[in-house]
Amino acid sequence: MDLIQLQRQLVDYRTSLYHEGFLDEQFTQLQSLQDENNPDFVVEVVSLFFEDSERLLNELSKALEQQIIDFKRMDAQVHQLKGSSSSIGAHRVQKLCIVFRNYCEVHNVEGCLKCLQQVKHEYGIIKTKLESMFQLEQQILNAGGSIPV
Amino acid sequence: MQALLVLIPPSIMITWWHKTTRQIEQNVDFNTHSLDSGFQSQIHIIADSIPPLNSSAASLANLLTSSFNQTDEISFDEIETKVAPTLFLAFTTIPYLSQISYVGLEGLVFSYHIDGNQTLSTYANSSFSSRKKHVWYKQPVDNQTGKLYGEPVRSHSFNVVNTSWFQVALNHSSGYSSLENGWNNGGEPLFLTSVSLLGKGVIAMGVPVKRLTDRLGGINLYGGSLSLITMDEKLLLNGIPNTKFIYVNGTIFLQFMWPNGVKNFPCSNDTSETYMMVIDGKEYNVRCSTVKISGVQSVYALALPHEGIASFVYSKINFSHIALVVTMVLLVIPLVFFISSMTTNAQREIYLHDKLIKQMEATQQAERKSMNKSLALVGASHDIRAALAGITGYIDLCLANAAPGSDFETYLKQMSLCAQDLLGLLNSILDTSKIEAGMMNLEEQEFNLADLIEHVVDLYHPVGMIKGVDVVLDPCDGSIIKLSQVKGDRGKLKQILSNILSNAVKFTVEGHVCVRAWVGKHDFETEILASTRKGVGKYVSRLFSDKNEGNGNVKAESAVRQNRDLVEIVFEVNDTGKGIPKEKQKSVFENYVQVKETAAGQVGTGLGLGIVQSLVHLMGGEIGIVDKEFGEKGTCFRFTVFLTACETQGAAMYGGTNSSFAIRNSSPKLGIRTPSPKLDGSQVVLFMQNIERRRVSQKFLESLGISVLVVDQCHQFPSAMKKIQPKLNSLHHSSRRSDMSCRSDISSSSSKDMPLSAMEGAEHKLPFNRRKDAPSFNLLVIDVNAESFSELWRIVAEFRRGLHSTCCKVIWLDKPTSPCIDPKRLDPDDEILLQPFHGSRLHRVIKLLPEFGNLSQGISSSSESSKHPYSKTRLRNTQRNDEIQEYISSSDEQYSKQGSSSPTLVYTRGRLKSKRKNEDSAESSNGEMPLIGKRILIAEDNKMLSILAITTATQLGADVEHCENGNEALERVCNGLKAQRNYDYVLMDCEMLPMNGYEATRRIRIEEERYGVRIPIIALTAHRSGTEALEAGMDAHLNKPLVANELMKVIESLQTKK
Repeated sequence: MDLIQLQRQLVDYRTSLYHEGFLDEQFTQLQSLQDENNPDFVVEVVSLFFEDSERLLNELSKALEQQIIDFKRMDAQVHQLKGSSSSIGAHRVQKLCIVFRNYCEVHNVEGCLKCLQQVKHEYGIIKTKLESMFQLEQQILNAGGSIPV
Repeated sequence: MQALLVLIPPSIMITWWHKTTRQIEQNVDFNTHSLDSGFQSQIHIIADSIPPLNSSAASLANLLTSSFNQTDEISFDEIETKVAPTLFLAFTTIPYLSQISYVGLEGLVFSYHIDGNQTLSTYANSSFSSRKKHVWYKQPVDNQTGKLYGEPVRSHSFNVVNTSWFQVALNHSSGYSSLENGWNNGGEPLFLTSVSLLGKGVIAMGVPVKRLTDRLGGINLYGGSLSLITMDEKLLLNGIPNTKFIYVNGTIFLQFMWPNGVKNFPCSNDTSETYMMVIDGKEYNVRCSTVKISGVQSVYALALPHEGIASFVYSKINFSHIALVVTMVLLVIPLVFFISSMTTNAQREIYLHDKLIKQMEATQQAERKSMNKSLALVGASHDIRAALAGITGYIDLCLANAAPGSDFETYLKQMSLCAQDLLGLLNSILDTSKIEAGMMNLEEQEFNLADLIEHVVDLYHPVGMIKGVDVVLDPCDGSIIKLSQVKGDRGKLKQILSNILSNAVKFTVEGHVCVRAWVGKHDFETEILASTRKGVGKYVSRLFSDKNEGNGNVKAESAVRQNRDLVEIVFEVNDTGKGIPKEKQKSVFENYVQVKETAAGQVGTGLGLGIVQSLVHLMGGEIGIVDKEFGEKGTCFRFTVFLTACETQGAAMYGGTNSSFAIRNSSPKLGIRTPSPKLDGSQVVLFMQNIERRRVSQKFLESLGISVLVVDQCHQFPSAMKKIQPKLNSLHHSSRRSDMSCRSDISSSSSKDMPLSAMEGAEHKLPFNRRKDAPSFNLLVIDVNAESFSELWRIVAEFRRGLHSTCCKVIWLDKPTSPCIDPKRLDPDDEILLQPFHGSRLHRVIKLLPEFGNLSQGISSSSESSKHPYSKTRLRNTQRNDEIQEYISSSDEQYSKQGSSSPTLVYTRGRLKSKRKNEDSAESSNGEMPLIGKRILIAEDNKMLSILAITTATQLGADVEHCENGNEALERVCNGLKAQRNYDYVLMDCEMLPMNGYEATRRIRIEEERYGVRIPIIALTAHRSGTEALEAGMDAHLNKPLVANELMKVIESLQTKK
């Protein structure tokens, strides 16, 4: 009974993530790539994403603190961030990155700062959301159930 | 206003005219007046021209007085000698004188006077007192000398002495003038001037009155008249009618006699008074005046016509006035008429203008409204679609949770179906509005036309099967197969075809639906060009076999280098349904129209054909209904579209790398491997239930030069088989068909002596058919739906037993819906093929024939035969549950089917993979591992993305290697080239350090050129457009992140390109 509830909870949670636009179909794609041979694939990729993103966000924050801002470099970094976020289907982060890049292109420091804050915020949200989802999955697995597709 | 302006010049003219006429009138008046006075002065002049003779008379008297004594009596002698010459002298010198005389107191008279033309002298030579009788004589006078000559004649004597004028003259020494009668014969009146001579006699000189009256009468009075009278009442001239002069108390009156009385005008006093009188209805001005003529006081009256000339002028002027006014009026009337008509016209025009403008505004408004409506519809439809997508999404979610097999699940599935229907409906409305709004664009892409058509037909085949309607694909002349790759809007073409086909299936209750497609005539040459290019290598051998034809082709090839782009494809969908009434045929293409009689019980918006028509037009084609022969049932839609033909790469498409199959080449024999002597024409026996399919299959096979035997009824089947059997065994091919007892439609068009019917003009007869050898290969295609399987099996088995040397293969056609074949009883070499038997399935069967590439003659080993494409066909056997899947890596066909075969037939190059839980045939084809055996290099520097890509590719079955930048990628590719182990695909990230993907690609392209290979490189970009990638020499591009479906799509398209 407990297991079924947990499973339902997971499905609901995931649906809400899709519904609220935190995730898109790319995440589904990601999940479909996970199989018996590669049971922790999603977690692996997502943690890579976390690593990657944190590094990039740090670099971006530093870059914006500089006297002379290297917009070209920033643009490339945001582009990377956009690529990795779209790879895991972090939809909102990806959308923000597009705006961010536009600001980088026109060398708008204010806009960049604002966007950076927003990206950080969104990143924080998606991170917690995904982590809690993984926790839920872990719980299910621990309880001996399977993760509903 | 204009009218008034127009009237101004004529009014000015009239005024001027009026003034001029007034002046003329005045002039005329003045002239008349001066004429009056002119007459008067003329009268006076004439009167004056009779001079008063007083002075000359007086001087004559003085002259004579000097010659006489005062006292003495004057004797006649004296008169004769003294007076007479003087008188004569005076008579001849003084002008106008007609009489001159001397009269003495005593009665002596001597005178000269003119009587007619003669000058006479009248004299009395005796006085009253003498003894002689007082007698007057008349004697002619010599005009020159004044001497009397001739005989004196007694003349009438006048008592002159007693006359009053004589008495008065005696006392006048200065002369006295009076009017007296003359002494000549007529006694004409004379103005007589007399003067006394010494108181003893009187000398008198007379001027004739006639002279005056003649001259007065000579005056032209312009209709007037003149009367003249002396003061002593002697009338000289009476010209005025109805008048007379009367003398009252010393005054002379002119008495005018009116018809009703008498009127008197005083005339004597010299007044310039003018009187008016009417004579003969004419008005006259009468003027009286006095005049002295030769010393005689007289009065004259001059009557002149009142306004004689002036009135004439006046009347003429009036007349011209009237004429002028009339002209003016006549001018003005048309002018007014003209102007008024102009005004009406102008008004009408303005009115029409006004109307037109209003109308145009209304039209524009309506257009805007309609436009807005369309846009609103698009918007609304879009929103509705979004909502619908949400609904379907949730239904799917629910489905995932629903217990399998429960009612709940069934309902959900129903809901899902309804939602899909709704979505379809909405899409059609959206399409319509899109087309209306002109926003529909063609999305050009390359695709295989033959595959598309077959795919669509296959889609509707099951639908038709359920209703008992066979959906047949007619390859016609095979031109579509040869065309293979075309460029155009795949989706829309599919939509068109699906729509028409679904209609055809929907409205057909029995019979068949036949889909035909061929390349339009005018692009015929294009194909030759494309085909000849392909098979140049093998072409040479053909040139030897038939030189003339070959030359013709070469000519054609050179002639058609241009215009090889657009190809017209003609489609025909022919059904045997209810048909569409003639009068409705036009309206079916209008939106929202359904033909009621036939649409009964059918659902739909009626939008379908409208959209189809719009789409066909969008693709540059035409759609219409082809008239059927009388008595034929159903409807035949025909439409054309224009597509761009690509370079056909069809040769390698079919049948992998080892076995080349010729169907995709221009002519079948190009693909025939050099026939060994014993390889001869194969015999194909078709046994099918559906007439149309049988006909189509037969036609197509025969067009390829295969001899076909058709059996249409089961009871003929055994006999036909028996007939064919001995012929085959006895190796006498020639008689195999002609004496067959089957019905006439059991036919094979390939007779021994005649060339086979060719697929198209460029085809030739097949060389092997000329040989008189027996067919070495037999293929039986049997539709098990026609008869019970066991019966058929029995016949076939019997047939087989009769065969010795030749091999025989049986293709069993089965319904996918209700399989009725018992696979256990089949020969291991037999195959089961699912309906529909057309398109690629037909081609596979053809490829079984030895002359079309099947090397394994006869009963080949299972492993060998499975190399050939037919092993891909869906084979059934009892071990279906094993769920063993076979992947054939060489397969490039999207419809490569899951095959579960008997263990003997199974051949796997890749690894076997146990089936996943959720088994569904459509899904499985996507979820499987089509990339087995492929080596893929992934160059990606982002760790996360590379993991993603690697996993994706690995799951598709590929052998994946990974590197992190362009340098590494280049190195690996080079190594692969050296070791002859090429990568099948390279997935290249574009932005890498130190060497990026573009640079790496360029270098790889240079490297591989030395080895003469081209490795497909697929770009991975985060950018939307991949133009940069394509420019760098990459073959395709994919958007990050990598998705399995898209990767497969790209790989498929790359393979088809190859």
